[in-house]
Amino acid sequence: MVTNDVSFVEIETLRSREFLPAAKEALGSMIKEQGESKLIRPVFNWAGRNSLFPLHWGLACCAIEFAAAFGARWDAERFGVVPRSSPRQCDLLIVNGTVTWKVAHKLIALYEQMPEPKWVIAMGNCATGGGPFRTAYSVVPGVDKLVPVDVYIAGCPPRPEALLDGILRLEALIRERGA
Amino acid sequence: MEWNAEGVRAQLAAAGAPGILSVDPFDGAAARVRFSPESASALFPVLRDALGFTHLSTVGGIDWVERYEVFYLLWSDAAKRYLLLSADLDAKTPHIETASTVWPSANWHEREAWELVGIGFDHHPDLRHLLMPDGYSFHPLQRSFKLHEPEDLEVKVRHV
Repeated sequence: MVTNDVSFVEIETLRSREFLPAAKEALGSMIKEQGESKLIRPVFNWAGRNSLFPLHWGLACCAIEFAAAFGARWDAERFGVVPRSSPRQCDLLIVNGTVTWKVAHKLIALYEQMPEPKWVIAMGNCATGGGPFRTAYSVVPGVDKLVPVDVYIAGCPPRPEALLDGILRLEALIRERGA
Repeated sequence: MEWNAEGVRAQLAAAGAPGILSVDPFDGAAARVRFSPESASALFPVLRDALGFTHLSTVGGIDWVERYEVFYLLWSDAAKRYLLLSADLDAKTPHIETASTVWPSANWHEREAWELVGIGFDHHPDLRHLLMPDGYSFHPLQRSFKLHEPEDLEVKVRHV
């Protein structure tokens, strides 16, 4: 559906610096004609849930499984999941390890630096409920005391398959609930 | 000089080390010396300069309920010997003069001992929390510390 002055053929010939203004104009006219909720929301939901960018942040041994999930064998990138190094570029926080009170406010700062819409996966028993360190003096008993959690993954540590399953469940959740 | 309790005692006396209470018999590894905490600031420079214990390996504390104990593990590069210093502190307000003016490596060790066991180090240049967040209000390695229910801990530490 091309409803504006820029045709698809023209888009292919645009220089990169001309692309953003043209895309903005095209989106603006689409919103004007179709209404925001009817057209744009589903498109953004589809694009967002299929390109979840988790923060590249490792806390404990779960981070090893997290790393393995992005390696050649499990290859989470086939689901559009690419870890990014800056919270500004992320919409998914995977808390993969034991959260101590010392690091708690840094976790909250990272979460708040991420742009909306954003989601949190608690990976492993420590992030879910403190794990074997639940009563220890230095450990947060579950990361949901600090940030809202969407998906919990059990295991100590969970295998990469479990992490991929959690990500796919989060995608289903986003499809159901909307971004 | 023989490296046994008698020899260490004689060496300490010859150097004029103040405040030595006793030298316990030891099996050849580390000499174990007890001293009174009031004389700490006078004793530490003597041990470093006159006896050659130039390196402080660790500082730690123990809560023995009726008293606190603070210990220092010293190493002499020249003699290749360890010396374990220890002092008993008052159970109500345990405190001792800092060793960080004599051995700079004591700085972080004393911060840890203060944070976990609650021993105060007078004139310490930077007695802040090391392993726990700022504002953490208890000393978890004291015997009186109970493993709190997580919810209790959350309420106490949440707004740090």
